[in-house]
Amino acid sequence: MAAGELLPLVVAVPLLGSAVLVAAGRRLTRIAADALGAAFAAGTVALCVFALIGVLEGPAVAWAGGWRPKDGLGVGIALVGDPLGVGLAALASVVTVAAFVYSWRYLEEPPPRHAGGFPALLLLFQAGMCGFTLTGDLFNAFVFFELMSVVAYALTGYRVEEPRPLQGALAFGIVNSLGGYCMLLGIALLYARTGELGMAQIGRALGTGEPDALVLAAFVLVMTGLLIKAAAVPFHFWLPDAHAVAPTPVCMVLSGVMVELGVYGAARVYWTVFAGPGGVSHSSCTRTLLVIGVATAVLGAAMCWQQRHLKRLLAFSTIGHVGLFLIGVAVLTPEGVSGTALYVLGHAGAKAALFACVGILLARYGSVDEYELYGRGRELRLVGVLFGVGALALAGVPPFGTGLGKAVAEEAAGQQAPWLPAVFVLVSAVTGGAVLRAGLRVFGGAGPRPPAEKADGEPETSGAEEEPETGDRLGRVPGTMLAVPVALLAGALAVGVLPGFAAAVGAAGDHFADHTGYLGTVLGSGSALSHVSASPHWTAAGVVLDLVSTALAIGCAALAVWRPGRTGHPGASGWWTPIRRMQSGHIGDYVAWALAGVALLAVLTVPGMLL
Amino acid sequence: MSRPVRLWVFLVGAVLVAALYAWACFDLPSFGGDHHPYGDRAVRTALAQHTANAVSSVNFDQRAFDTLGEQTILFAAVLGTVVLLRQVRGERRTDPTPAPVADRVRWFGVLMLPVALVVGFYVVAHGPLSPGGGFQGGIVLATALHLLYIAADYRALERIRPVGLYEVGDAVGEAAYVVTGLAAVLAGSAFLANVVPHGTFNTLSSGGTVAVLNIAVGMEVACGIIVLLARFLDQAVEIEETAEETGAR
Repeated sequence: MAAGELLPLVVAVPLLGSAVLVAAGRRLTRIAADALGAAFAAGTVALCVFALIGVLEGPAVAWAGGWRPKDGLGVGIALVGDPLGVGLAALASVVTVAAFVYSWRYLEEPPPRHAGGFPALLLLFQAGMCGFTLTGDLFNAFVFFELMSVVAYALTGYRVEEPRPLQGALAFGIVNSLGGYCMLLGIALLYARTGELGMAQIGRALGTGEPDALVLAAFVLVMTGLLIKAAAVPFHFWLPDAHAVAPTPVCMVLSGVMVELGVYGAARVYWTVFAGPGGVSHSSCTRTLLVIGVATAVLGAAMCWQQRHLKRLLAFSTIGHVGLFLIGVAVLTPEGVSGTALYVLGHAGAKAALFACVGILLARYGSVDEYELYGRGRELRLVGVLFGVGALALAGVPPFGTGLGKAVAEEAAGQQAPWLPAVFVLVSAVTGGAVLRAGLRVFGGAGPRPPAEKADGEPETSGAEEEPETGDRLGRVPGTMLAVPVALLAGALAVGVLPGFAAAVGAAGDHFADHTGYLGTVLGSGSALSHVSASPHWTAAGVVLDLVSTALAIGCAALAVWRPGRTGHPGASGWWTPIRRMQSGHIGDYVAWALAGVALLAVLTVPGMLL
Repeated sequence: MSRPVRLWVFLVGAVLVAALYAWACFDLPSFGGDHHPYGDRAVRTALAQHTANAVSSVNFDQRAFDTLGEQTILFAAVLGTVVLLRQVRGERRTDPTPAPVADRVRWFGVLMLPVALVVGFYVVAHGPLSPGGGFQGGIVLATALHLLYIAADYRALERIRPVGLYEVGDAVGEAAYVVTGLAAVLAGSAFLANVVPHGTFNTLSSGGTVAVLNIAVGMEVACGIIVLLARFLDQAVEIEETAEETGAR
């Protein structure tokens, strides 16, 4: 089978799997339902890998329903398998399989006759993510965007017997639905202008003429939807609330892949739809994404450092890294894209592994509070080692994929502005340092014992007295729950060291950032790659900066744990408190910020475009 | 944020966004023009495919892949609701007590139930020919059954509504869509390609796979909405928090 023909199957197989699970779910035991779900998910991984091997030579296109355009005009939907899109579908599928294996012995026994529900939802999530990465049609991208959103709301609120998961899922649902509406409104504007819904077709129509207010509004609205999904500042508030309460296997997928798909979508839509002369100029797009990216990175890292609730800590570190990914794609070069892609791959492994470790703590001690868990993790030596390795990987220690991706993205960003690499170093150091600090306290019992009770007026939840998601507290940690973080970290390592891997990602970046090449591939007018950049590789400067951020992370963590005379937390008195209080949990606040964010995007994009 | 601050942030954002959108609307094509590039192509294609209802041709043939996603969103929403509204620890079931129903309401329900069902089946079946189709007809079918809840009582509804069976129907509708798409692949064509003979224009069997996919969607929507409403009614009528759980809150 040609690679193109495999693309629709990547979406169809998990969909079929979820339908089978729902139909048979009432008769299946939990083990049978989980095994069936995992088999469908793993089968999709295999399809992704076969498709990926096929498209490494060059992108493949599949027209759903066989509606190939005639003379460049058509009525159908294209699935476009470029190496980066198929690669992300593969990543989403692999992390879904990891979530399946992890939840094997993890989640509480489902009520009788409901064993199929959770695995079916996970498969639908996988199908939504794969469809979103593979589609070459803007409206179709919106459909899959909504599919993954709807499933994610339900999965986030899975532990419905407690109030907090419901609140987190509600905030997630409302803010992301708002993003969906914005995106749909933007698509409607583009359709009104061009009469097309395909990304390549709209890109072709915007390839001539001058940009006007309609194009600006469409760009701002579509980007809003995608940046809300990516949890970029000031659209980020939903993410910590949702990630703190979602079941751990779901967090692995949310933080490891789904949020990053927002960044992918923003970059994809810009390169295919808006990169022509009638679209949005490179400088306008770079300015917008760069400002948002730097704000996201700095705020995420700073908030990450303040947390003691381990899941919230990891959630804010994801925001910090999303900021870095946005900076990587904002420079609008193939090098920036491939660096970010490597970074995303490494980050997915490290972050999902860290969530897996926190899940073990939650299952065993019924708490995710850094202070309350002080020293209690000493008995879990292997988990402690994994947690520490994950923290260092997050800080970008060579030779992990995060380090390679960070080095390549940072060099590409340095071409844009010489101070940008400093943002990469600081943000990865602070987020890695925060995780390391928590690891030293929980697994090493390092430093003085922090006060377990909450300081007066401390704005956030501490994570003490959580309900274990396993139903009862675990005595012995099941092998599957240990194997998953080991495999994920090995994957993050492989991204950095596997020979030929970085070169393949580099070629993927070239294809991704090739506006005319994409249009040519989809519309059938030839597709010679217009620009071949040097393969990403380890450089001396990159390794040095990675080591600097790792050393800084270790330094931060050591200082926080051992600094004499400092036992506790900044508490309520720190200068940072007003910003911490912005994360209020009040959905009205989040909506107000989102709307202000739309306006901010417009204000950032408009100079040099219309004014 | 305090209330006034929130209001200000919202108002500043809202005014700027409204201004941007209004500005953009001046660049829209003017009203009543005759330039409809996609519409013209879609209608031509619909006629060529022997599908009288051009909207159905777009939904189930030309952009059938979109409809697969949309149908799956409903499927996911129903499944999510089933999962979230499951009976959890600290909840128990009680038998609902029948409520008295006025005679006129009872007669209205008894008369309307068969009419509503026939209309629902008609709207589904004629999807390829006239306005309507699986989505719309499915909703009519699902709500028709609930006339029994209004006209008689909850237990009468439960007798004709074995939820398990409808859950299976929901999944079968979803699977049928995917399988129809895969069958085209096995027949050597593209996923979701309309490979079935297109039949005589403007007859019930015309449109090829449009008719098949339309019925799959009708089945999924009707069953899915019934399951959805069943879960909400369960929560409202049958499931109660136990005393100690209420006390803990």
